[in-house]
Amino acid sequence: MHFLSLNHCMSIKNITKYMEVCHIYQLLCVISATLCAIVEGRVHGFYGSSNLPKTDLNDSLAYIWPLPKQFTHGNLTVSISPDLVLEVEGKGVIRDAFERYKKLIFKHHAKYSSSEVRENFDYDVHRLKIVVYSDDENLQLGVDESYSLYVTSGQGSSIIQEATIEANTIYGALHGMETFSQLCDFNFVTKRVELSKAPWFIQDEPRFAFRGLLLDTSRHYQPINVIKQVIDSMAYAKLNVLHWHIIDEQSFPLEVPSLPNLWDGSYTKWERYTVEDASEIVEFAKTRGINVMAEIDIPGHAESWGAGYPDLWPSATCREPLDVSKNFTFDVISSILADMRKIFPFELFHLGGDEVNTDCWNSTPHVKQWLQDHNMTAKDAYQYFVLRGQQIAIAQKWTPVNWEETFNTFKENLSPQTVVHNWLGPGVCPQAVAKGFKCIVSNQGVWYLDHLDIPWEDFYTSEPLEGIDDASHQKLVLGGEVCMWGETVDASDVQQTIWPRAAAASERLWSPRDATSTGLDTVLQRLEYFRCLLNQRGIAAAPVANEYARRPPIGPGSCYAQ
Amino acid sequence: MTFSQLCHFNITTRIVEIHNAPWTIADQPRFSYRGLLIDTSRHYQPLRMIKGVIDGMAFSKLNVLHWHIVDTQSFPLEIPSYPKLWEGAYSPSERYTMSDAKQIVEYAQRRGVHVLAEIDVPGHALSWGIGYPSLWPSSDCQQPLDVSNEFTFKVIDSILSDFSKVFNFKFVHLGGDEVDNSCWLTTPHVRQWLNRHGLNESDAYKYFVLRAQKIAISHGYDVINWEETFNSFGKDLSPRTVVHNWLGGDVAPKVVAAGLRCIVSNQDMWYLDHLDTTWQKFYMNEPFTNITDPKQQALVIGGEVCMWGEHVDASDFEQTIWPRAAAAAERMWTPLNKLAKNPRTVTGRLAHFRCLLNQRGVAAAPLAGPGRVAPLYPASCYSQ
Repeated sequence: MHFLSLNHCMSIKNITKYMEVCHIYQLLCVISATLCAIVEGRVHGFYGSSNLPKTDLNDSLAYIWPLPKQFTHGNLTVSISPDLVLEVEGKGVIRDAFERYKKLIFKHHAKYSSSEVRENFDYDVHRLKIVVYSDDENLQLGVDESYSLYVTSGQGSSIIQEATIEANTIYGALHGMETFSQLCDFNFVTKRVELSKAPWFIQDEPRFAFRGLLLDTSRHYQPINVIKQVIDSMAYAKLNVLHWHIIDEQSFPLEVPSLPNLWDGSYTKWERYTVEDASEIVEFAKTRGINVMAEIDIPGHAESWGAGYPDLWPSATCREPLDVSKNFTFDVISSILADMRKIFPFELFHLGGDEVNTDCWNSTPHVKQWLQDHNMTAKDAYQYFVLRGQQIAIAQKWTPVNWEETFNTFKENLSPQTVVHNWLGPGVCPQAVAKGFKCIVSNQGVWYLDHLDIPWEDFYTSEPLEGIDDASHQKLVLGGEVCMWGETVDASDVQQTIWPRAAAASERLWSPRDATSTGLDTVLQRLEYFRCLLNQRGIAAAPVANEYARRPPIGPGSCYAQ
Repeated sequence: MTFSQLCHFNITTRIVEIHNAPWTIADQPRFSYRGLLIDTSRHYQPLRMIKGVIDGMAFSKLNVLHWHIVDTQSFPLEIPSYPKLWEGAYSPSERYTMSDAKQIVEYAQRRGVHVLAEIDVPGHALSWGIGYPSLWPSSDCQQPLDVSNEFTFKVIDSILSDFSKVFNFKFVHLGGDEVDNSCWLTTPHVRQWLNRHGLNESDAYKYFVLRAQKIAISHGYDVINWEETFNSFGKDLSPRTVVHNWLGGDVAPKVVAAGLRCIVSNQDMWYLDHLDTTWQKFYMNEPFTNITDPKQQALVIGGEVCMWGEHVDASDFEQTIWPRAAAAAERMWTPLNKLAKNPRTVTGRLAHFRCLLNQRGVAAAPLAGPGRVAPLYPASCYSQ
């Protein structure tokens, strides 16, 4: 199945082969699904046998995802007033988030008829108090995301109960609200939102500062509403970097005002993002504590650039990588980055640099000539291109991130600021950090979401610091990222493919190492619970227990058992 | 709703535009009943998902949400008169309070969508006995509902009474499909009851259905039943019954010839869980097939596509429904003479609508191929 779970290695030459194999595969899937339906004799449904599955929660587990760094709890239940009020100073972001979380917490309706309205019921918790110590709303890598959450139980005292979140920044407070919302549960018997196992004392902060999700909007356009929903779901799992792989060989959907023909490379005029759209996405993400790291992948993966400016191609028949011999190419890159600097404030900017097949440089006469004139091999020119691109980004006050081939190929020649983005396999970050480079882990064997055969267990157990024991080296590992490449992913199946496996990785990246290394039995139950939580919040997370990703449930059953 | 589909954002001028103006549109649906069935018993569907589906229905001008709430596998709905019934839910949280149901009804109403509640009796009701085991013929033989027990009908009466406070559509669906009554014959006390009343098992089936119908009517409802009731004892059904065809394409003509109203859902063309049924088939399924007399045509009140839930939970709900349900929606709305004779001519328009759904946050699947396939390769939304 390796063929079918393609990574971002999609040259035009391979498409036909890919299509054929995939088509057969999809056909087989449909045939087997249909056969299953027939075999079950199902038309309106088969007759179940006597014992219907009953699912009860394991009371000893903390159903918070990801698991907080430190927490203690009791065994009492407190009720949360449906008129819960927020007490906070200023902080529009917090107030907006509170309104969102209130809707999530109070999603079920208890008031039915006046005789059932428990107007006089004495709820335990009436107020959520949030204290944020800093006014600074700047969101960058390494921002303080810590928080404390206290929910006391009262128990006979006359003090009005409140839940309290304390944080150094609003971003810590947002995480605190997310955790609080996960502790709240609607009790169908009492018809009240309750918080069990109080009192809670939680002190939490992430293990890694960079906890990313890559979204590919070139292989398939993703509508803005879908991107926003992905951002919301990231916040539920405390992921904090959206790596927006905007452009690739198949399409160029983003507006670049100084080069208005570039988005002629979009699939259609409707499958585009204006600069306002992009800014809106950045702002939306910021209010959820999420940075957006944009990527302009060069010099490979850039065929779509030539739809508007054919000069960027080595030739009309040989279209990748970008033509290294022309200053125009670098003018274009400069203009793109200048325009994007106004949209993307995150300090990291991704320049790609992966899977560069330099054949077209060698075979196109004027490029070949240029190589000779400059005494470069194609490999030298690859290095030249990447380094020049890095300088342009650095001039825009960005820190460049590059895919690992750049490190593998020309090691210390990379700008020392470079963040090396590992993807090919294990063992790369240890080498990169040994040479003083920062590193992000996305080893495709375990963290590529488009690889449907990677189970959640592998996402969960993959350890970014594997093979890195020196403390100063460990600090250079910024974190990791799961990658949602878009070859077979559009608006119809993106959330199903991302979740729940991205959540498994999010706990690996957030929670302490010893907490995530104790064995998987209890993790499964907690992940099932989190997946059902996502479903309740409108996120189409797939069944956890399926062997392959984004498959339908195998039959009728409880969300918590599938 | 139509207006919103005429508006396009011009990406160059940054203005929302309407092309080909002036427009004069006089529109009304061909059928008054244009339904979508959802099944929240095989898998619980969270409220957010149900609301999302209602939104999609409004976009495609479908107007009846047939809520198949309860079935063999689980009983998720609160019934205030019999509070143990929802112990048949999969878990304590995979449930709907009556307030939730009311909220759904209101949400739908504001979008011009009716909610048709179904309580399928006497078969497909195993889950009722989790809370009240005396509803089962016996603990080893748990379907259909015990026809010999007066309690059974008390419960049905209370359910319908509770329904009537929340589900204000004039119809209620009483199911009645796929009744395997062997448990009635093999369970001693039920067998004795049958003997005492001189009923064989199909008489008892008829007795059950008719009695349930009367209860529903007493609560002010008009009744819909699946077609087996008509096939088995059509002339004894209440003449106001609406027969819901599902088994095949040859039933509707018989129903309307008998003077009863009919809803068309023949499974070979309008079952969404049949993934091998393409959108073209959904589009081409004509409710008036073999019905030529206009008086009889008038008895076909409409049709319904069915999203059974065995393999459908929150993760693949929208993908399996759309865009194929939209193809059927046009069949049910648009006048017969304006419908395409060859579905190829509407491919572009349906693709466009599918991409519109995507833009509005509805996870409609690619058109090409069977139901809910993932896109096979990178491409524009409009070409897949």
